[in-house]
Amino acid sequence: MGSKRRPDTGGKVDVPMAPMIDIVFQLLIFFMLQLKIMAPEGNFDINMPLGQSSQQSSDAPLVPDIKIKLISDDNGNLAQLKFGERNLGVGDGAFEALGAEVLKIIGTPGNPATKDIEVEIDADYELHYEYVIKAVSHCTGKIDPQTKQLVRYVEKIKFAPPRLPKNS
Amino acid sequence: MAKRRLNHTSVIEPDMTPMIDIVFQLLTFFMVVINFENTKADERVKLPKDLLAKPPEVKPAEELVLNVGFDRDLSGRKLSEEPIVFYAGDKFTINNFGPLLEQEKRLAEAKGGKGAIDETTVILRADSEVPTGKVQELIRKCQEIGYTKFSLKAISEEK
Repeated sequence: MGSKRRPDTGGKVDVPMAPMIDIVFQLLIFFMLQLKIMAPEGNFDINMPLGQSSQQSSDAPLVPDIKIKLISDDNGNLAQLKFGERNLGVGDGAFEALGAEVLKIIGTPGNPATKDIEVEIDADYELHYEYVIKAVSHCTGKIDPQTKQLVRYVEKIKFAPPRLPKNS
Repeated sequence: MAKRRLNHTSVIEPDMTPMIDIVFQLLTFFMVVINFENTKADERVKLPKDLLAKPPEVKPAEELVLNVGFDRDLSGRKLSEEPIVFYAGDKFTINNFGPLLEQEKRLAEAKGGKGAIDETTVILRADSEVPTGKVQELIRKCQEIGYTKFSLKAISEEK
């Protein structure tokens, strides 16, 4: 049996790069087309089993639930923000005042005595949804300016039964 | 003085290495940045913005994403005042959406067994201009089907 001879190429071996470059370009184009630049989204959790209402609770809470009313004008903009029976006005200042009122009721953030307190949001039918999110956000807590961390006020948020449209 | 042209007989091969380096870096960038999870989000829905809206640390085990918005033209102008649920590439009014929720329930139960619906979180992606009453109507429909956990989406706003 004769010995195997390695072919003597002499120079360097050229690996064909063209197919790899083709595939890499195709992958690049695929990922570029798939990319959708979207702002990061966050969420506010609410727990709402059917038929739940604040009166159904068997244990009397230490602190009464917080009721917030959002009244709209005909165009769906906020006309009045009410905390219980108190009118907090309108605009960003009203929402800041709402946060302050919630904080006053819970005492200190993370207070175990007020951990189970619930906020009920009662909004007009026509009111733009963004105002409800603002109200939910200001009840949920605030961002500490120093630490940039969330300081949580209330965790339990629910909606009052839906109202009927004004023109119905 | 006469110029002499060099006489090359071999083929000139450009150096491909720097280009391949760059292309691989671009490819890696796009692969890392791409987010396949957001495919259920509908771009026609203009979510409200909020400082506190931070992406959740724990993702819900099962979720049903409902996009509620308006039919808009390319400039973003509303074509109709009636809110629409964008679902599976189709458009439904909130009043007509009940049967599809039933269908979602059946699918969830076929996949996860009886009671799977209790573990499902309904993610509501509602347009900032949708009337709250319409969102509540949709929540009510979900409640009637048996969903209890809801999550309201907003865009994270940086101060």
